[in-house]
Amino acid sequence: MSFWMWFWTVNFAVAGTAFAVIAVIVAIRGVADLRAMLAALAAERNRQ
Amino acid sequence: MNFTTLDWAIVAIYLALTLAAGLAGRKYISNAADFLLAGRHLGKFIGVATLAATEIGTITFMYYAELGYKTGFSSFVNGLIAGAVMIFLGATGFMIFKLRDLGLTTVPEFFEVKYSRRLRLVAGFLVAIGGLLNMGVFLKVEGTFLTIVAGLPLSDLKWTMTVILALELLYTVLGGMVSVVITDFIQFVMLSLGTILITGYVIGHVGWGNMQHAVLTNLGANGFSPLSNPDYGWAYIFFQLLLWTAIDVCWQTTAMRTFATKDPRTSQKVFLWTGFIFLGRGMMPMLWGIGALAYFGAGHDSLQAMPEMIARILPTGILGLVVAGMLAATMSVNSSYLLGWSSVISQDIVLPLRRTPLSDGSQVVLNRVVNVLVSLFVLFWGVWYVLPGPVYFYLNITGTLFLAGAFAAFIGGLFWKRANTAGGYCAMIGGAVGSVTYFFNIPAAYAGMSAFALAALGMIAGSLIARPVPLKIPKSGDDQQRINNG
Repeated sequence: MSFWMWFWTVNFAVAGTAFAVIAVIVAIRGVADLRAMLAALAAERNRQ
Repeated sequence: MNFTTLDWAIVAIYLALTLAAGLAGRKYISNAADFLLAGRHLGKFIGVATLAATEIGTITFMYYAELGYKTGFSSFVNGLIAGAVMIFLGATGFMIFKLRDLGLTTVPEFFEVKYSRRLRLVAGFLVAIGGLLNMGVFLKVEGTFLTIVAGLPLSDLKWTMTVILALELLYTVLGGMVSVVITDFIQFVMLSLGTILITGYVIGHVGWGNMQHAVLTNLGANGFSPLSNPDYGWAYIFFQLLLWTAIDVCWQTTAMRTFATKDPRTSQKVFLWTGFIFLGRGMMPMLWGIGALAYFGAGHDSLQAMPEMIARILPTGILGLVVAGMLAATMSVNSSYLLGWSSVISQDIVLPLRRTPLSDGSQVVLNRVVNVLVSLFVLFWGVWYVLPGPVYFYLNITGTLFLAGAFAAFIGGLFWKRANTAGGYCAMIGGAVGSVTYFFNIPAAYAGMSAFALAALGMIAGSLIARPVPLKIPKSGDDQQRINNG
């Protein structure tokens, strides 16, 4: 059982850290992606 | 009432911002392809945001917390499998690369590409039934969370459900996928903040050591080892591995993100990054459930324990921020699911049944009408349906209703030259029959495994008996023509 306690503690630490780090990166860099998507949609709409 | 004026103000400001952003998406819609797939312009980061926001809702937090409360740290196996499978698919591109390359719009469309239009129709029906039954319990579970945390009486649950639905319906109907992606991004930021805040408060308030002690006292070794826990075991683990692979490949809302990315490589990257998010998406709310077990002890209502604990341990202001985050999670999931299942009904059932194609404008109107009808179904199903067991198992099984058959048909269609329409029918029927055994007192693990086994056997047997049909792959890029053809 001590193996499982250790195993889940490590898993939780990795999962929580990855979640927080990726959330920050996506929150910052997603803005540029969103702008690019809207610009592409607007350009398509203008072409039509 | 747990909410103060400050909490209500935070929630109101968030809702106003989301609605404004969602409604702004309407001006970018010029055709059905934009409405359903945002013109296939999703980049990596916005792709991660929309995929994560779509698959992380208050419903996710509730069913995972329920598992944490009932099965302790053993429940973490669910989060581990969900994340690991997605990371594997993202790293290898297995199936998702080929699927994005096909340029599909909906999951059942694959059945027409590889098999036949009639099988697409059958698949469309099964996908719609499974999807609607699945989504049908969302509002009630989410409404329960928000009602308890805000400190409203549970008799107000129906009104909470109606308000949530009306808000998300408003921008989804008008702006389609573009609005969903814009709001998903805001919602991703809010729900991530809420998730991290709650996790920090639960660990700080309850304590990691107390949680381990509570699990040991109440559940013993079964609370730590998923192999010895009677709710899990090897059969369950195999079922979850198959189920999560099928969800990542064939689940309409996930697949729509795959189809909407700029190219197959971007799809892979989105899956790889989101896979790591999925590890935390599972384990953090499960920990909240374990925290509730330590906080209240055993014998509490397993679904209500987590929100009741949160309402007690979070201070004013933070509570409003967290509820705004949970509301964000709720709306992002529901709006995407609303769009996802509605698109299947309109594109894969209504359009194939028509003899003449619909104009582009009429298709957008059709999608909007179906959005409203699906919403009404979800509201009424949520009010009167009583769940037969844990929410997570119910969602697994209603998803498996079509996922088992669809997954076998996808594998056959992509990798086996001999696969044909007869195999496709047998796979869909076998998968559906296997999964409904859950409603006749068969444990979820065995019902799920039998669904995947019957679907695979059906695909093999049906294909070997009937003649092979060559794979017809449409050229990607001609979205509008293909959407017009239904």
